[in-house]
Amino acid sequence: MFSQYFGNYLLNKGIIKPEQLTDALEYQRSVHLKLGVIAVNAGYMTPAQVEEIHNMQKKVDKRFGELAIEKGYITGQQLEEMLATQRQGHLMLGQALIDRGHLTIEQLQKALDEYKKEYGMSTRQFNVVRKDDSQEIEQIFRDHGEALLGKMYSDYVTLLMKNLIRFIDDNPTIEINQFKSDITAQWFVSQEIFGKINMLTAIACDKDVFVKFAARFAQEEITEPDELAQASVGEFLNLHNGIFLVNMSNNGVELEMNPQQVEKNRMLANPGKAYVITCSMTWGRFDVILV
Amino acid sequence: MSKSRPTILICDDSLLVRKKMKDCLNEYGDFDIIEASSGQSSIELFKQHDPDLVFLDIVMPDKNGIDALKEMMAVKKDVKVVMLSSSGTRSHLKAAMEAGAHDFIQKPWEKSQIEHIIRNVF
Repeated sequence: MFSQYFGNYLLNKGIIKPEQLTDALEYQRSVHLKLGVIAVNAGYMTPAQVEEIHNMQKKVDKRFGELAIEKGYITGQQLEEMLATQRQGHLMLGQALIDRGHLTIEQLQKALDEYKKEYGMSTRQFNVVRKDDSQEIEQIFRDHGEALLGKMYSDYVTLLMKNLIRFIDDNPTIEINQFKSDITAQWFVSQEIFGKINMLTAIACDKDVFVKFAARFAQEEITEPDELAQASVGEFLNLHNGIFLVNMSNNGVELEMNPQQVEKNRMLANPGKAYVITCSMTWGRFDVILV
Repeated sequence: MSKSRPTILICDDSLLVRKKMKDCLNEYGDFDIIEASSGQSSIELFKQHDPDLVFLDIVMPDKNGIDALKEMMAVKKDVKVVMLSSSGTRSHLKAAMEAGAHDFIQKPWEKSQIEHIIRNVF
């Protein structure tokens, strides 16, 4: 259920080296995702067909999509779909790895296929969201059938992304999944939001990430999960939730929240239905849980 | 009881917030700084120390900041209480202003906002 961040997957499998991942993560901020990579990921074209179109583009002044349609590799509808998904996070990383010469498109295709297979993901679930992909986030909740609460959840997650960038790390990646079993965490920081809508929000992570998270938010030297570390992670959640409440208030929905709580080795019994937002940074991963 | 230095009471359940606020205040003057980590203890320390300025969070254990503000105002109606909260919702802003708060700062605060308050009050 907890899908692994594609970059970490590539590292763990020995497909790329740490320095190559760092280089690609740095580079991907400015990368332009090419349609060839999307077409291969979607299974519409083979790497050889992509190469063929790239070679044709050297001779003919036509766009990739146009040529691929002419050759009968893709339909107009598929092209539109590909253009709409041009900002998928894991593909941005894939594109960066290709552009920087760390992977060939064939190697990327193999790694993507194995990653999806290993983690049993559909293309939609596989979507990793970055920065301003608020429409993508809304779509994910809509796909999960959350008509009523979907907008609130998507506003919450979109704001989370902004606040992670503002306060924690300028290059986060998140994955959104549903969870229907017990949730355990070494460190569990939670806060209840109540009023017209009731929601439990939490940050769950291991000790190492907890300490790193705390140090980044506090901008202090924190090396242990001590009182200051607990206050720091707690205050991030409190701050994020507070800003969320202000946004909701500006939209005419008044909500309140309880003080945040920090617990160690917490087991959250199957909440029936929860969303787990896995946030990945180069220095570790943690989950934001919405029940 | 005569005081040589102005007294500031910081009420916030977060150790981090209290630390950051203390560091910030120390840049702008020489103060006696008192800390409270819950709504109830903020009232007790308020009565005990008669502070010149209070920074008061809203979402706290025991008693929320709006209720604490009302109690402080009942004890000393000209006290300067600055609400300092991440939850600056319309209802909180309205309640704080109606109860007599001197100002309302939405977290995360900028140092310049704290400096402005200090220059304004002292």
